[in-house]
Amino acid sequence: MRIPILKLHHYLLVSIQTEIDDHTAIQFQEDLLSKIHKSGSSGVVIDLTSVEMIDSFIAKVLGDVVTMSDLMGAKVVLTGIQPAVAITLIDLGIHMKNVPTALNLEQGLTKLHQELGE
Amino acid sequence: MKPQSCVNIKKEWDIVGARQLGREIAKKIGFGIVDQARIATAISELARNIYLYAEQGQICFDVIDTMEHKGICVTANDSGPGISDIGQVMQDGYTTSGGLGAGLPGVKRLMDEFDLKSVENKGTQIKTTKWVR
Amino acid sequence: MDQQFKRIAIEHSDAIVQRWLEEINSLKEGNYTASISDELFESTNREFVNVIFTSIKNQGSTAAVEEFSEKIINLGWPLSYITDGLQVFRRETVDYILSQSDKVDSDFISNVLKSVDLWVEPLIRQLVNEYSGSWEHILSLQRVALQELSAPLIPVMDKITIMPLVGTIDTERAKLIMENLLEGAIKHNSEVVLMDITGVPVVDTMVAHHIIQAAEAVRLIGSTCILVGIRPEIAQTIVNLGIDLGKFPTKSSLRKGFKTALEITNRKVIDLKSQEEDAENLMGSLDGE
Ligand SMILES: Nc1ncnc2c1ncn2[C@@H]1O[C@H](COP(=O)(O)OP(=O)(O)OP(=O)(O)O)[C@@H](O)[C@H]1O
Ligand SMILES: [Mg+2]
Repeated sequence: MRIPILKLHHYLLVSIQTEIDDHTAIQFQEDLLSKIHKSGSSGVVIDLTSVEMIDSFIAKVLGDVVTMSDLMGAKVVLTGIQPAVAITLIDLGIHMKNVPTALNLEQGLTKLHQELGE
Repeated sequence: MKPQSCVNIKKEWDIVGARQLGREIAKKIGFGIVDQARIATAISELARNIYLYAEQGQICFDVIDTMEHKGICVTANDSGPGISDIGQVMQDGYTTSGGLGAGLPGVKRLMDEFDLKSVENKGTQIKTTKWVR
Repeated sequence: MDQQFKRIAIEHSDAIVQRWLEEINSLKEGNYTASISDELFESTNREFVNVIFTSIKNQGSTAAVEEFSEKIINLGWPLSYITDGLQVFRRETVDYILSQSDKVDSDFISNVLKSVDLWVEPLIRQLVNEYSGSWEHILSLQRVALQELSAPLIPVMDKITIMPLVGTIDTERAKLIMENLLEGAIKHNSEVVLMDITGVPVVDTMVAHHIIQAAEAVRLIGSTCILVGIRPEIAQTIVNLGIDLGKFPTKSSLRKGFKTALEITNRKVIDLKSQEEDAENLMGSLDGE
């Protein structure tokens, strides 16, 4: 199973719709980085509205993917993190301090727009 | 107490199976959506630790339903290498696998009760409970 | 025997009621109904004694009992009103039946006592059950109301929500605050949430920790949390305790916080009146020319 990555102008859009197992998460990390490389995208929105839980492993993969994309010149915004997910992350002690967030996909795109000045 | 249900942890996908079953049980008992996420996440952490450090083991669920208390008890059992310094693994950020080291201290915060027993080269048993508020 | 006693009681219900009412009235001075008008007290007493007699005649009529206990709760009268009333009824009835009988020996007395107890017992059980049942129901309603009260959310305007916190914050309440805050921010699509702690009397490490966690969770769901109402002593505590409020914007007053919230959402308040005046002045100067 692979998480689909869509291209919208010079941005990439990812909407995670399924329960993520470890392998899918790693595969996604590779897929996203190679897509950024190929497309030269400057921004990525990863929408997590349908994700019901994020444990320390998935949090690490997501955090890493943000840092790696940053290194490649693409800014990543995470959107739609559910209250229950946010609360469990805080309980785990994971604050994702350097990861930009937005309430939903539209606002994520707006945020990229503002920050990249495009 | 209802009969115990267990999930064997051998492959990566069993981690997902365990947390899905745990969430279902938690929902039936009457946990709210946030506590369901807490319980599922704790199970995921325990199951992954078994998979990563002990290769195989079991996650078992007990429903507790007495006059005063209602809750779920999650037990993780393995016959892996064990943990020599329990104080150390309970520290935020301690990891031997390049993880975040958030798993065990996180589980303790996610659940209401936490009990870790481990014997080196024999295995590890972690018993945690969450009560319905 | 029992039927015979019952007949006496029912035939002379007027007399028994009379004595019962007198006795109950003398109890009023006691405590439970001190602030209640005489009319209400009397009419309730009559209803009570009717319920007792109906129940004895029909050997337990549930509807009337249920209705009556609900009424007592709604009036806010204590359970002791019901138990006292039934005790008095028992005493008066036993006395009355004894006074109506010529031959009174210890066997007879014990028979009378047994019979009357038999009538009153199911009534006590039923009334007390009803009373505590409805009471629990009311309590649970109040608990829900209290939960909402303890973490209210005010969507003051598009994109901005305020959560005023009043009173002590313990771990249980902190959880509630966190959940309400996050659910509310998403429901109202709030880009900024102002958490006002003006009404929180003591901010110790524990409370500060909860507040910071809530603010961090708000950031994770994609909104911004501004802490407002930082009084001088709270600022001192925060620094003295070495608490790192880090990246969270804080403001001393709700007003200043609101201004920042407007800036974050690319808006500001403009005074329409002064613009109107400007326009009028302009018009005036035109006229003059
Ligand atoms: N079942 C186990 N058997 C043996 N050692 C274990 C077991 N569970 C945990 N450990 C040890 O405890 C350490 C801390 O575990 P913890 O789950 O807190 O962090 P992690 O697994 O390293 O990272 P994270 O869970 O954040 O991805 C592990 O690195 C491992 O050395
Ligand atoms: Mg772990």
